[in-house]
Amino acid sequence: MARESYQEKLDQLQADVLYMSEVVLDRLRKGLDALDTKDEDLAWAVIDGDEEVNEMYLDLEKQCIDLLALQQPVASDLRFIAASFKIITDLERIGDLATNLGDYTLQAERDVFPEVDAQSIGRFTIEMVEEAMDAYANEDPEACRLVASRDDELDGKCERASQLVVRDLIETELDEGAEVETLLADVSRLLLTIRDLERVGDHAVNISARTLYMVENSDELIY
Amino acid sequence: MTQSDMTDDGRTEPTSETDSVSADPEHDDEELIETGVTAGTEGGSGPVGGRTIIESRGLDVYYGEERALQDVSLEIPEKSVTAIIGPSGCGKSTFLRCINRMNDLIQNARVEGELRFEGKNVYDDDVDPVALRRRIGMVFQEPNPFPKSIYDNVAYGLRLQDQTDDLDEKVEQALKDAALWDEVKDRLDESGLELSGGQQQRLCIARAIAVDPGVILMDEPASALDPVATSQIEDLIQEIAEEYTVVIVTHNMQQAARISDRTAVFLTGGELVEYDDTDKIFQNPESQRVEDYITGKFG
Repeated sequence: MARESYQEKLDQLQADVLYMSEVVLDRLRKGLDALDTKDEDLAWAVIDGDEEVNEMYLDLEKQCIDLLALQQPVASDLRFIAASFKIITDLERIGDLATNLGDYTLQAERDVFPEVDAQSIGRFTIEMVEEAMDAYANEDPEACRLVASRDDELDGKCERASQLVVRDLIETELDEGAEVETLLADVSRLLLTIRDLERVGDHAVNISARTLYMVENSDELIY
Repeated sequence: MTQSDMTDDGRTEPTSETDSVSADPEHDDEELIETGVTAGTEGGSGPVGGRTIIESRGLDVYYGEERALQDVSLEIPEKSVTAIIGPSGCGKSTFLRCINRMNDLIQNARVEGELRFEGKNVYDDDVDPVALRRRIGMVFQEPNPFPKSIYDNVAYGLRLQDQTDDLDEKVEQALKDAALWDEVKDRLDESGLELSGGQQQRLCIARAIAVDPGVILMDEPASALDPVATSQIEDLIQEIAEEYTVVIVTHNMQQAARISDRTAVFLTGGELVEYDDTDKIFQNPESQRVEDYITGKFG
């Protein structure tokens, strides 16, 4: 095989993107756990961990730019690098959303609307990210399409959860004063949590879309 | 073989011979446009735009017993840049030299199949290769200006063809088209050999386009030049492709990617494996062999 050092750099890029996804998924799981158990130490660990994700992102961005500048990749190599360049942005954003979960944990003082199962939605989004990254690792176009198709299910879950919150809110009879303020903050936080988890799903779809471009040169899933 | 050989040979040829090539009633444009393209064995498509000016059909070339080109069929659209790439010995220069019959000058070279220029098979008995080369100019790897003044280099072909009316204007225009005028306008009587390598190559391009050929063939025109001169030649190629058809053989794949509209990939054994729009070739080639070649996994 010719261009061995180039090939090694391509392999390294893929391995590092997959490692970054493991770190981000770990943050996401811990963010959800922190939210569930109100574990402030865990929440802080997630928040502090964002710096590491950002550094990984910058390192991977540099790897991609170096490959483009120095190796003039073409064909499937070019598509792999272009796709990876986009995917690391999605992973970095998922890391930010995991950090948000940590923030919400610190802010929350009580459970509102326990019937809204944010944990279940969170687990669903984690699965989507895992499947998207498996599709990337295995260059599996069908898996890409499957992830994209699951997004509608996720959106439905999120919409139902949001409606549940709003409906309950309308029906709740409140006393004046501090209770209103607290409830408002709690409800806002819950709606933001649902929105953030829905966005994690969107990023999983983006990862699948770029992976499908990488594998099949297809823009089928890109918007 | 140098360009001077060709033009010297052409001294006595009547220019009407040239016109008869394109005016052949049996080979009108309609036929060319309707001709389906065969792009090697693994896919590809016909030209996306522009009338076909050069077409090869089932072209085989042998050097003695050795087959240098195998059944090559492709169509080259006019006023565009077509790059031919492939590993050493793949037949890309052989193909280029078929277009203006430079292979005639190689002993033991034998051509089978058809190579049509403006619909006329250039290997027909009634085609005069010298007149053909007047319509299909060539620029070589090493700049080869004549040991004459800059002016006389450009005027050379025009004088041979008795196109001496407004000679100054024609020379100036050719030098401007070759992006050389500003650098030489005050020293037109200096020898062409006094110029830098990049300037010499642009002088050769000016000399080629001065006689208004339909096609300019380029065989590694920038491989002997430094990066700055190379980028000037690359810019120039794209500019002159607005008026002329450029077919360029290059070992530099990035150069092909930068400047060409269409790319033909020849692989070992003289086989045209894929011919398509350049962005398609470099982003998503149909053929795994082409993919392996352009990504450097072999060859």
